[in-house]
Amino acid sequence: MSEKIQKGVTRRRFIKTTGAAAAVAAGGLGFPAIVRSGPTVLNITEWGGKWSQVLKESVFPEFEKTHNCQIETDTAFPFAPKLMASPKNKPVYDVLHSNSNDQWKVAVAGYIEEKPDPAKIPNLKNLHPFATSDKIVGVAAFTSAIGLGYRTDKTDCKFESWKDLWDEKFAGIRGTYVITNGLGACLFMMAGQVFGQGFKDTEASLKAMEALKPVKQVDFTGTMEKQLFSGEIIVGVIHDSAIWRHVEKNAPLAFAVPKEGVLALEQVWSVTKGSQKKELAYAYLDYILSPKIQKIISEAMWYNPANKNVELEQKYKDHLFTTPEQVKQLVQVDWKWYNAQESTLAMAYNKIFQNQ
Amino acid sequence: MVDPGRVRRRFSWGGYLLLAPSLLLFLVFFILPLAVMALISVLTGNPVTETEVSFTLGNYGKLTKDIFYLDVLLVTFRIGFYTAAAALLIGYPLAFQMARTRSKTIRTLMLMAVLSPMLIGIVVRTYAWMTILSDQGVVNSTLMEWGWIAKPIHLMYNEFGICLALVHILTPFLILTLTGVIGRIDLSLEEAARNLGASKARTFWEVTLPLSMPGIMAGSLLVFALAISSYVTPILMGGFSVITLPILIYQQISGVFDFGLGGALGFILLLVSLVIVILYHRAMSRLSRVAGV
Amino acid sequence: MKAVNWGRIVFRGLNILLIAFLLLPIVIVILFAFNSAEFIVFPPEGFSLRWFDKFFTDPDFMGAFFLSLKLALITVVIATVIGTMAAMAIVRGRIPGARFLTAVFLSPLMLPAILTGLALFQFYVIIETGRTFWGLLVGHIVVTIPYVIRTSTTVLYNFDTSIEEAAQNLGAGPLAVFWYVTLPLIRPGVIAGSIFAFIVSFDQFPVSLFLVKPGQITFPIHLFNYLKYAFDPTVAAAATVTIAMSMSMVLLLEFTVGLQEYVKL
Repeated sequence: MSEKIQKGVTRRRFIKTTGAAAAVAAGGLGFPAIVRSGPTVLNITEWGGKWSQVLKESVFPEFEKTHNCQIETDTAFPFAPKLMASPKNKPVYDVLHSNSNDQWKVAVAGYIEEKPDPAKIPNLKNLHPFATSDKIVGVAAFTSAIGLGYRTDKTDCKFESWKDLWDEKFAGIRGTYVITNGLGACLFMMAGQVFGQGFKDTEASLKAMEALKPVKQVDFTGTMEKQLFSGEIIVGVIHDSAIWRHVEKNAPLAFAVPKEGVLALEQVWSVTKGSQKKELAYAYLDYILSPKIQKIISEAMWYNPANKNVELEQKYKDHLFTTPEQVKQLVQVDWKWYNAQESTLAMAYNKIFQNQ
Repeated sequence: MVDPGRVRRRFSWGGYLLLAPSLLLFLVFFILPLAVMALISVLTGNPVTETEVSFTLGNYGKLTKDIFYLDVLLVTFRIGFYTAAAALLIGYPLAFQMARTRSKTIRTLMLMAVLSPMLIGIVVRTYAWMTILSDQGVVNSTLMEWGWIAKPIHLMYNEFGICLALVHILTPFLILTLTGVIGRIDLSLEEAARNLGASKARTFWEVTLPLSMPGIMAGSLLVFALAISSYVTPILMGGFSVITLPILIYQQISGVFDFGLGGALGFILLLVSLVIVILYHRAMSRLSRVAGV
Repeated sequence: MKAVNWGRIVFRGLNILLIAFLLLPIVIVILFAFNSAEFIVFPPEGFSLRWFDKFFTDPDFMGAFFLSLKLALITVVIATVIGTMAAMAIVRGRIPGARFLTAVFLSPLMLPAILTGLALFQFYVIIETGRTFWGLLVGHIVVTIPYVIRTSTTVLYNFDTSIEEAAQNLGAGPLAVFWYVTLPLIRPGVIAGSIFAFIVSFDQFPVSLFLVKPGQITFPIHLFNYLKYAFDPTVAAAATVTIAMSMSMVLLLEFTVGLQEYVKL
């Protein structure tokens, strides 16, 4: 039975006891009291690999110079557990860049500012509606579209509907993401919409997942692409950037936009409530939302920019969702609702696929 | 007759001194943090980040209510056992060869061959296995080309694939452990058995094998422990069709952020593993005693 | 006589097959590294060194590589020294609860490293040191010491103390006995443990995920991140370089310390 032990295990007491026990260790590791003198440090998170390369080369230098600061990037995903393991008034990050589902989790736990202030971030006024909709906490600076990627040389099907994924002829040679991954969750919800009453019809979704077997599951975009390339799968749930990146090199791949819509995979930036450098953080967000930087990143990564005033090269315009009409096709799901169900859904999902 | 007491007495004063650095390091940087996590697993929230928390056995309660957790535990240990057994079957002959060969070159070459699987890094190695085992991989493509099979055999995305990859990574650990032990077996004991008329097979079975017990025990335990706590390999090779306990733990920590439940799962794993280790130790010591070692 | 020869042939053949099993993925990885094709496909297309070039000229890859190397080397030294000391204490030191202590020291092996990583991260937050190089180092030492302790205790348990006894009878003091008699005899176990420690530290992933300082990244994490956007053979080149480096270390050990002693007393 639970007991309220407010007197016993309060946060202060807890930290004091453990801290005291580890006093020797702290001494050995060097006191944190050494305040860093010099430029302010902005702690952010980013994906690694090519993404952080692009940022380091084309995005950070100008900002660091203008604001006399140093940007320190954590590229070791997962970020949310680290943020949530740090106290709210002393978060490990000033700015969190993540997908929408993770942002909602840390928002509900009280770590980030949910609605950025246009007075502090002027570029907020120039964005497509999806960037600051009620489905977003923080601001979505870019988005990808989650649809179906397929091998044009191995099938005639154009995947005009999501239901085509469930077709018998693709049994065992189709791919999706595990449900704890944002894309997997998106497919799950889309299944409810396509086969049931709507995105929140979890019963229909679970039945659809059962019917999707056998299917190959991954947790990692790289693996999905690899499987498409090697022919392990002929069709897979994937976001457009992953496909268009390779089409340039004449790979026999195409991206299908089913009639029921494509789901938005937003790249969301937020400022932590406990950050000591909020002005700098706001400036950074504004910078990411500026047309110039939006163009650089969108073209490097094949992302759809949030800023309406970005002028992309033609080849990008051909494939990406840039006009207001195109952007309307992007469906944003209710992550707040989904996150609350995730634990139960994940278990049900695990049971469906255990030893499929 | 050796009087171990005399030797030991010389070291006892220094015993604690020698132990101190490792023990201190462990106490502060392993036991203590784990104790914190154990505490969190019996609280409703994380005391570091929340102001109001209370005791609860809810996390552990969740584990007993749903039989799925038991299933996951069984799968995890099953993989551990198969991996350890396979590693032993593969590792013993190789360790034996390495220990007994008289050629320095062969031993060095074998050592390099044995060490290399450990060195290519977990992600790259798994991609290599994917290339070999996947439905369109080397094995299936070749077999289909030769007409031996009509449809690909599923060598991946199941327990078989996971065990295979784990065996590949972990057998070197076992081989290196075993080589030292086998190498230290007094050959005159084997000679004596042969002189008394025992066949090669019998000598092996009744002399060599029992004498290698310490190595077999240590090696297979190591493989078992590493296999059940493994995360990256089951994910990449199992394709989420096989859920093991570490995968569940990762889901809790990284997806759902339920540190309490993740911690509880971790401690159950640790507890059950320790029990298995103790039982195994006892069984092996009994076997060694019976064999007269 | 004939039966014996058949047995030996079968035995040799079996071992060759088993070695082939161990080497198969490595051969594949090396093939990819030299492959000219852009993606990891099989069979390989042509010969090229471009992936090695890409690897060596990439500052991120090089930074991560040397960080992991530095981390592994320091980890090995510290873990080997204090681990061997602890092993001596456990086996010889007449310390109560030696068996229990051994289990404690081996427990990191049985716990999924992600929990160890999270626990340490949480701990560093509580004592307010944050993430530092030394914090990461300590994390690595914690997960590698079990290997050193395990191999050292194995060797020590199987130790014939009569040799030490003889040395003492000849008048050697305890320190001399240790240095000239004990240490050379347990060296094989110690070296095996340190080889494991190096490999485990260099390849360590989950603990590093939580403990790396922003701006620094270890080799395995960088490889993982890289594969998110590209799965070209650069990673195969990286892996090949790692193997080559370790092989050279093994050869170096062979010629200096003499690994052949590893299997015989």
